[in-house]
Amino acid sequence: MSKHPSEANLALFAGGELSLWRRWGVKRHVAECAACRDAVDEFLALREQASGMAELPDVAWDSMAAEMRANIRLGLEAGECVTERSSPRHLGFSLRGVAACASLAMLLVVSFLIERPAPRVAELKTDDAAVIETSGSGIQVMEGGRSLMLLNAHAHTVDYQASGSAMGARYVDSDTGQVTINNVYVQ
Amino acid sequence: MSELAPPPLEAVERQNRFVSENLRRIFVQIYRIVGNTADAQDLTQEAFIKALQRQEQLKDEEKATHWLSRIATNTAIDFLRRHGRVTHCEMDAQTESPQESPEDLLLRSEHRDYLEDGLRLLTARERAALMLRDVEGCSAEEVAKQLDCSKATVRSHIANARIKLRRYMAGRKR
Repeated sequence: MSKHPSEANLALFAGGELSLWRRWGVKRHVAECAACRDAVDEFLALREQASGMAELPDVAWDSMAAEMRANIRLGLEAGECVTERSSPRHLGFSLRGVAACASLAMLLVVSFLIERPAPRVAELKTDDAAVIETSGSGIQVMEGGRSLMLLNAHAHTVDYQASGSAMGARYVDSDTGQVTINNVYVQ
Repeated sequence: MSELAPPPLEAVERQNRFVSENLRRIFVQIYRIVGNTADAQDLTQEAFIKALQRQEQLKDEEKATHWLSRIATNTAIDFLRRHGRVTHCEMDAQTESPQESPEDLLLRSEHRDYLEDGLRLLTARERAALMLRDVEGCSAEEVAKQLDCSKATVRSHIANARIKLRRYMAGRKR
């Protein structure tokens, strides 16, 4: 006798859901195995009982149907009202959303501009290998191993400009509030 | 605010016809899944409203029928998932057959009660798959379409459902 099919295969065999090849295998087995045949019979009996559930319960169908039809019509009409009237609200909401997004974007841009970090190091290389470096504490020119540095340890805010062969730094002394402007030119 | 334009009479008539032609079938279909008339009534209404709100889907009559069945099944399954229950309050109504003796009727009623108890053990999808296949007689392909899953999944749901019911019934006999 062949190996017992799984319970799932017996259940599907009873309902005719197995593929042709599997059905053939299960059918052969069931023909010679009383236990599996009993299981299939039980599944068949269950199917038969379940089919009895197709009956409509004993309800006053006509009045129930009339009530359902009226409720469906009511629901559709209510739905149309909601859909129709919700359109301007949708528009209002989206306008508010756009305004909020624009404000947020503006805030981000402004905060970025305010908090924009000063360039830590900026280099300007000239044709004759002179290098100008700027940092938060000063500005420096290097050429052929020699360098010239302008420092301001109390710099509060440093603005740098670079153009062609020149660089400038603008400091605000945090103690005195004095503004210092240094311009360095490479020759 | 502008006044709402009422839907054209022709459209309303078409909707009413669609409801009348399918109401009983959809009610029974949902009733088999949820197991009681009060919930089935509410869910039937809900399914029709969902379907009729997308009228563009209703142009092809045959497709509309399938589509409505699918909405009904999904509405019932969603309901069972939300509420996690199947209640059978009015299933004891009998359709008497003149050939049946009182003993037969009693036996049938008992079997039915057992079956209903057993159905509570199934998941919403197992129950829906079993009902569509064994009660409505849909093919596995049709069940798969209605449940929006593969045929293999449907077979798995059906097999699980039958196995659970068989074990439950066997436990009752002992």
